Amino acid sequence: MKTRHFLAASVAALVAGPAMAQQTVTWWDFLAGGDGVRMKALIEEFNEEHPDIQIEGTTLEWGVPFYTKVRTAAAVGQGPDVMTYHLSRLPLGLEEGVLTPITAEDMEAAGLSEGDFFESSLNAAKGPDGTLYAVPFDIHSIVLYYNKSLLEGTDFLDDNGELTGIESLEDFEAALAAVQENGSSAPVSYATGDDGGVYRVFYTLLQQQGGELISEDGEVLPGDSVEKAETAIATMTKWFEEGWQPEQALYEASVALFTSGKSGFHMNGVWEVPTMIDLAESGELGFEWGAVEVPQLMDEQTTWADSHAFAIPVQGDGEMDAEKREAVMTVIGWMNEHSLDWAGAGHIPAYKPVAESAEFQEMEPNATYSSLADNASYDPRSEIAGVASPAYDAAVNIIAPAIHGYMSPEEAVEQIKGELSRAMN
Amino acid sequence: MAMIRDRRRHKLVAYSLILPFVAIFSLVFAYPTFEVIRMSFTNAPLIGEGEWVGWANYRELLTDRLFYTSLKNNGYFVLLTVIPTTALALLIATLVNRLSGRMQALALVLFFMPYVLPVSVVTQIWAWMLDFQFGILQPAIAFFTGKPVPVFKNPNWVMPTIAVVTIWWTNGFNVLLFLAGLRNIPSELYEASALDGATKWQQFKRVTWPLLWPVTALVLTLQLILQLKLFDQVYLLSEGGPFNSSYVLLLMVYREAFQLNNGGYASAVALVLFLVIMVVSVLQFQLLRIGGKNK
Repeated sequence: MKTRHFLAASVAALVAGPAMAQQTVTWWDFLAGGDGVRMKALIEEFNEEHPDIQIEGTTLEWGVPFYTKVRTAAAVGQGPDVMTYHLSRLPLGLEEGVLTPITAEDMEAAGLSEGDFFESSLNAAKGPDGTLYAVPFDIHSIVLYYNKSLLEGTDFLDDNGELTGIESLEDFEAALAAVQENGSSAPVSYATGDDGGVYRVFYTLLQQQGGELISEDGEVLPGDSVEKAETAIATMTKWFEEGWQPEQALYEASVALFTSGKSGFHMNGVWEVPTMIDLAESGELGFEWGAVEVPQLMDEQTTWADSHAFAIPVQGDGEMDAEKREAVMTVIGWMNEHSLDWAGAGHIPAYKPVAESAEFQEMEPNATYSSLADNASYDPRSEIAGVASPAYDAAVNIIAPAIHGYMSPEEAVEQIKGELSRAMN
Repeated sequence: MAMIRDRRRHKLVAYSLILPFVAIFSLVFAYPTFEVIRMSFTNAPLIGEGEWVGWANYRELLTDRLFYTSLKNNGYFVLLTVIPTTALALLIATLVNRLSGRMQALALVLFFMPYVLPVSVVTQIWAWMLDFQFGILQPAIAFFTGKPVPVFKNPNWVMPTIAVVTIWWTNGFNVLLFLAGLRNIPSELYEASALDGATKWQQFKRVTWPLLWPVTALVLTLQLILQLKLFDQVYLLSEGGPFNSSYVLLLMVYREAFQLNNGGYASAVALVLFLVIMVVSVLQFQLLRIGGKNK
């Protein structure tokens, strides 16, 4: 009898809680790398500043595992209160019915307005009818990292030691040949054997020609995009045949090739910026490095890009209570206002007041390549594109073998068209 | 009267004894199986209800090129693994059987160890050893082929390599089964045949092989079922590539359900795989039994 009383009392105490109603916000993200460390620091800082709102963060495996878990958990009301979400994944998220709309009141609670965000990211966060389903947090893209030591003595460094003179594919290939002369064994490294690395370079080359991977009405490589895709694959194949890009490099190997000084150039996401900064600071890099927006190699200046955003999943059949939702929006607003720290992970804040602040403008190398925010090419708005999608699978399954000479660009494009059209149904 | 009550009580006891099994079986096997069958006739997403579409999923399946590619790859993998792993296990078991005492235990441990490892560890070990840039097995491959081979990225190498990894991983269990079978053969038979002047080979052919046949048939059947269920190694090592040359049916089920959100279609593929495994394994076991009787 006594114990039961005691139990009842403690349950009551738990429910009633401290005088001010403390909100616990369950947070899921997929950030396990260098940016994960920065995110955890942000969460800690938030928790310290807000005694009434506590974030309980969990980091899950990036890609399909994360999104599958979100999907199943949200359906039965066991999902998080807030989660990170790739905007390229939004179309599939909408089809799955995982996301709740972010209303005008929500934005007000967060202290944000739509005008605060870069238009490209905001558009990617909206459904086809213009409803907002996520709050953008950053814009990330691939950039061109370069090794100044390997470029020394070529025409491609200016007096300040910055990369210069790459305005076309010919220029870029001349630079590759030049660093090869200078002893670089893999002049341009990217993950040639992985889905992400291959996809991002392919998509960038396709977009720079004005090609479309999936049209708005759902056609794969419509019209002359077929030839443009072939050109993109042929270009990557040439880099392989000339010995300019590493053979079947997986992600870690592609980074290692650059950080060990074997590659003059490296095409990879901005998220590796902290790696370079840390290595340079500890003196382990052994060369000077820089990073710029991927140059215009084809007809237009654009680069593949995606955004991390915050989204609020559905809670099974239930509804999140208003106070909790306000707390969640407070978290989202605070994170965006503090996204300067997030920029330390290489990303460009999607929140313009930070992106345009003097502090960010001085932050290197972010400021050098931040212009890409205006030229970003997001993934096509389709359920089969985006992170961990059939489009990514096609990159590792078809494009990667093709650029290693296992099939011609024409065959590869035909297969891509077949596979993706099949996945569309 | 007492007897009737007794029998009734007996029945009650019997029911109460099988109830836990029936309950668990219904919950985790019968009900899901029924649901898969039902779902395969709908266009349901991964979670939630769909509409009844009749045979549409199956009709689509029959025109799906990827389905045939996967089926072919499943068949190829069965060829690459089932008989080789059985033959290898038999060879190892007869060798281990000749050892005695501690040496036998040690040899058995060595062969059984890989089987204890989880699949993710196994694939990690082999992915490292076969890594194109840094793998320690690449010089050995280069010795035979002239240059290193990215084994999981090469359409000709990918399935055989996965087969080798799989055999290395699972062979220990088969060795154990064979060893148990060998120990069941009475030693008098060997003594008698030796007295009759039989050579070692004749002993194997006339005594060991026929008496071991039930175990061999069991191993072959278990292997067939296991290897048709191939998924983990492919998912972890090659993701079905390059250009679908290692795409298998279970990978198709996974992608359709969890990536493309087609629960109905995935169920149809799963059910077809289920039927294939059932038919093929029953057929094989019966054939092997008949084969055994004729010996």
